[in-house]
Amino acid sequence: MAVVGHRFARAPQRVLAACGILVLLVLACPLPGASLRADEPPRRVLMLHAFNYTFPATTEVAEAARKRLLERSPRRVEIDADFLDLARITEPGHELRMAAFLRDKYARTPPDLVMTLGSAALPFVIQHRNTFAPKVPVVFTGISPQTYAALRPPSDVTGIITEFNLDKTLALAEQLQPDARRLYVIAGSGATDRRWHSVARTVIANRTRTFETTYLFELPYAQLVTELSRVPRDAIVILLTVFADGEGRTFIPAEVATALSAISPAPVYAPYDTYIGNGTVGGFVETFGSVGVAAADLALRVMAGEDPTTLPPRTNADQAYRVDLRALQRWGLRESDLPPGAVVLFKQPGIWDQHRSLVLAALAVFAVQTAFAAALLIQQRRRKRAELLLKESEERMTFAAASVNIALWQFDRKTNELWATEHCRAMFGLTSNVPLTRDTFLSAIHPEDRAIAMSSLQEASTAGRAAVSDVRVVWPDGQVRWVRIRTRWHSDERGAPHQLSGIFAEVTDQKAAETEAALQRQEVAHLMRVSVLGQLSGAIAHEVNQPLTAILSNAQAALHLLAQESPDLAEIRDALRDIVEEDNRAEQVIRRLRSLLKKGESRIESVDLNDLVSSTVALLHGELVARRINIEVRLAADLPATSGDSVQLQQVLLNLLMNAMDATASAGGATKPVTVSTWIAGGPAIELRVRDRGPGLALGQQELAFEPFYTTKEHGLGLGLSICSTIVNAHGGRLTLANDQGGGAVAIMSLPIREYQVAAQ
Amino acid sequence: MTDRTFTVFLVDDDPGVLKAVSRLLRARGYQVRSFASPHEFLAQHDAAIPGCAVLDLSMPELDGLALQAALTGAQRPVIFITGKGDIPTSVRAMKAGALDFLTKPVSDQDLLDAIARAQEQDTNTRRLHAELATIAARIASLTPREREVLTHVVAGRLNKQIAGDLGTVEKTIKVHRGRMMEKMGVRTVADLVRMAEKAGLH
Repeated sequence: MAVVGHRFARAPQRVLAACGILVLLVLACPLPGASLRADEPPRRVLMLHAFNYTFPATTEVAEAARKRLLERSPRRVEIDADFLDLARITEPGHELRMAAFLRDKYARTPPDLVMTLGSAALPFVIQHRNTFAPKVPVVFTGISPQTYAALRPPSDVTGIITEFNLDKTLALAEQLQPDARRLYVIAGSGATDRRWHSVARTVIANRTRTFETTYLFELPYAQLVTELSRVPRDAIVILLTVFADGEGRTFIPAEVATALSAISPAPVYAPYDTYIGNGTVGGFVETFGSVGVAAADLALRVMAGEDPTTLPPRTNADQAYRVDLRALQRWGLRESDLPPGAVVLFKQPGIWDQHRSLVLAALAVFAVQTAFAAALLIQQRRRKRAELLLKESEERMTFAAASVNIALWQFDRKTNELWATEHCRAMFGLTSNVPLTRDTFLSAIHPEDRAIAMSSLQEASTAGRAAVSDVRVVWPDGQVRWVRIRTRWHSDERGAPHQLSGIFAEVTDQKAAETEAALQRQEVAHLMRVSVLGQLSGAIAHEVNQPLTAILSNAQAALHLLAQESPDLAEIRDALRDIVEEDNRAEQVIRRLRSLLKKGESRIESVDLNDLVSSTVALLHGELVARRINIEVRLAADLPATSGDSVQLQQVLLNLLMNAMDATASAGGATKPVTVSTWIAGGPAIELRVRDRGPGLALGQQELAFEPFYTTKEHGLGLGLSICSTIVNAHGGRLTLANDQGGGAVAIMSLPIREYQVAAQ
Repeated sequence: MTDRTFTVFLVDDDPGVLKAVSRLLRARGYQVRSFASPHEFLAQHDAAIPGCAVLDLSMPELDGLALQAALTGAQRPVIFITGKGDIPTSVRAMKAGALDFLTKPVSDQDLLDAIARAQEQDTNTRRLHAELATIAARIASLTPREREVLTHVVAGRLNKQIAGDLGTVEKTIKVHRGRMMEKMGVRTVADLVRMAEKAGLH
């Protein structure tokens, strides 16, 4: 309770000040009309609450307004209040009944002014004012600028526009959590909740920092709780309002705030004053009390006779960053990250705040003493230990190296002398009676890899950088093991590399795993090819069917011509020639298909990307026609070859084209063509681009697209791009995906030029 | 002058198929005009030439069904040949008035049968059209009064009744009637009624 008291500590001061001013006013202007006179009829203010009595926000506004009115009004004020309960009771007759009820209730004591609390009350008043309070001026509260613009109230309706500032609330969250990348935004399905939806999307889209944003809008409450409990610890949660959940159950937003902040794994921020103290970190808010005061002041001016049409609605200036220190501490957020001017609530001054200089001085003295003592001790023991350490260190290193299957070596090029740890013997299969020399090692290495080993001893020349090469070692019993050689050289005084040192590490298991993984990759890639071709089977059958049709017709024409009395031999020859040609065509389709269906080790050969594009587009011809998608092929002239496995590269191409076709089809824009182009990208690379005019990539999809099992397609496996990326990387290239400026997505595959690769080897 | 021989209009985007089917039909003595693009075909299409259209169903610019729709006004019999004869498409094609729906590879006998039927249909349609055109021309040559008399005669009214209806004497009606029958080129009322029915007059 003491904590709450601290929070409102300013309120009594304000009351005192207000009283002071009032006294001065009364003294300064002793006008009879300005004093409280019992004989005058009281001014009546009708406060209409949009919700029921349980809503803290409207209650706070009303209470502050009530106090202010009673304090400041020169005449007696009587305040009536009614709760419209519009959030819970949504049946159409309710509003009419309420209007009739108000009309009857206040028939004898009509209000001089109507004040609305909560956004739903204003539309009600605009709609039904003529029923229960015709021509009575209205002062509203809790209306956002958007709602105000949408309602376009009559000119005698004025009030306090409340700008719940999501943008600055988000700015606060960003400042407190500079590393957060994921953003969750919560809002319900009530009328106010729904207004938040579009506001939130716009605000978030306009922030310079991009988030992976999840909108938890209109969910059933139970599902909302489940989703929220799965939010990662480093995310930002923004709570807007939940007046009703996805199933239409009604809620009190401040209570929802309490419940959700209690279970949220990540900090919760909100642009609402009433949520602070309920577990949220805070936000950029105005206090509801200050809204009530501002509304009361406006009401007083209207009741004093000012024309409400000359009093335009205004915003409340009393806005600030307000945060709950307990929530900051709960989520480990730093107070020092807060923006300047932030109001920290629920703060209990600690020892540090009270006696900062004393604590600092004590710590400093302690630190100096400790350092001095430590320095003396170290000085004394250093020499002794240094001698011991040197010896121990060598033993330890050798032991540690051997225990992780690593051997150490050193080689002097001048003297051709080699030193190595004993573990080398085990690694190279050398018996203990063989001397450890350079040549013994070389002879243990597989003949095909000896050149590599030699060069790793001779060419580890780039200063300071370690050279790495893997070689096979053949043990006397014929077993083949893989050993990795890491080499580093040390220059002598003149800078010439003559001292080489390094390690041998046994990597047989790793090599086996790599081979296994490569095999599995091939297997998966093959399966994906088969699956893609399965999707295309109808179109491919059509591609074979075309030449078959031509062959049959040509053959039947030839037969008929032959049956005539004087056969037209020239025509028959042409028909037969065409049959041969068509047969070749069918064979080509089948050959393309067979190569894609073939399962085999990857082959490295020279690949002409242009040929690959033409052949893939030919394979897709039937599918393109059937799906009514146009394709534009722009091939670069004199495109240098790349090297790699043409089947795998064709698979990538096939996948990119199929994706582009799906995207085009999903956008319904079959008239906009898919463009495939190749060119020399400058540097030692060539590029292939597949551009579509589909819907493009949504925010966050760009990174996820290459993740295995990520898909946006209804029946997709989510492996296509992941495998493509693996294939392209294995070819020393890069596959990227981006949104094109003209709309749609563009996939870019860049591959190294073969000549450069060969030259580099 | 347009060519009056029955012509097969062949449209297929596949040049190999186009050439082969065209050869087959020419060997069978048909006049063939082949088009690799549906748009080209539409641009050059002359409805006055008797003949039928043999269309590939799936083509890149304009598929067969759309092409068929574009031809509806021309009353050109349409035969489809297609690489994949799925039922919904064939139903749509037949409903839209296609004469036949053949799957590739298409046998010469099926194609020739279909074309023979198309030729028959085309001939009938053209004859009917010619007949209607004659009747329309004859009706156009009538005076308004004769036309009125024609309507009444077809409705089975006697001269006396017609005279009553039109506010004149029977003798005048007889004169009109005689001229009308002459202009329409018929001798009996039965012939006149048949003719009027064909022309859609009752």
